[in-house]
Amino acid sequence: MTPELDRWMKLATRHLSRSSADQVRTEIAQHYESALEAAMERGARGDDADLAAVASLGDARVANRQYRKVLLTSAEARLLREGQREARTVCSYRLVLRWIPLAGLIAVTVLFLTGRADFARTLLAASLAFGLMFVAPALPIYTQSRSRIVRIVKWVLLAAMPLLAFWPDIRQFSWLLIACLWPIAWVEWTRVSLRRKLPVAQWPKHLYL
Amino acid sequence: MNFKGTLPTLILEGLEREPSHGYRIAQDIKQRSAGILDFKEGTLYPALHKLENDGLVESYDGMEKGRPRRYYRITQSGHAALAKDRVEWRELSRAVTMILGEA
Repeated sequence: MTPELDRWMKLATRHLSRSSADQVRTEIAQHYESALEAAMERGARGDDADLAAVASLGDARVANRQYRKVLLTSAEARLLREGQREARTVCSYRLVLRWIPLAGLIAVTVLFLTGRADFARTLLAASLAFGLMFVAPALPIYTQSRSRIVRIVKWVLLAAMPLLAFWPDIRQFSWLLIACLWPIAWVEWTRVSLRRKLPVAQWPKHLYL
Repeated sequence: MNFKGTLPTLILEGLEREPSHGYRIAQDIKQRSAGILDFKEGTLYPALHKLENDGLVESYDGMEKGRPRRYYRITQSGHAALAKDRVEWRELSRAVTMILGEA
């Protein structure tokens, strides 16, 4: 690989996952080989042929922006790996974990009946969150249309939980909500990107949620 | 000249004629447009990956002059998408011509 092509590759594969970067390197190396051969057939020699072949690839930064729209970035690949690890953990403790939301709902009922509504509302929000996290993976949701419904329910619940927990002092706790919701929003945004980039047949189970 | 968004359609059109690899697809588009559609070849592969993710093309490993090449071929969904794109392009082209007039 020539220094010019090496520089192009480094810029074009920035922030891509290792497997995506390997894929890009392979296809661009093949392309460069053909372009170099064509330039030499047109009479270019040595460095001129190399420069012409690299120049025909265009701006590496533009290519990088476009590659990042269609191939996995390193952050997305990491989220995919971590998601699979979390899903395995949830599955291995699923019998125990499924009881947490139910226990929470029983406690909520008791708290409401004993007149401690404020605490009961917060606990209800937490039970809904745990219910979504631990019960949904066990349901038959692993088709595109069903997973879309699950995601709509999830967003409705996510919006309802802070209201339930903090109403009517929601403005007072807005700093806490923003701090808590920001990582969730980032993870969900990355998952949207993963769903767009991966063919449905390659979706791991946690992408359906 | 390069009309934004036309590259995927041009790739599908080229692949409808025969399966091909990236470099040949790029040269084919340039030659058939008499050099008018001159896009940078580094942007071709992201477009090919997008088409592959959407199931409109599929790739396989092949050889050319004894060297490995990644070949692409159009799928059934790709044929359908291309037919739709052709209809849309003709309508758009007719509409623009009506406004700008014949050259």
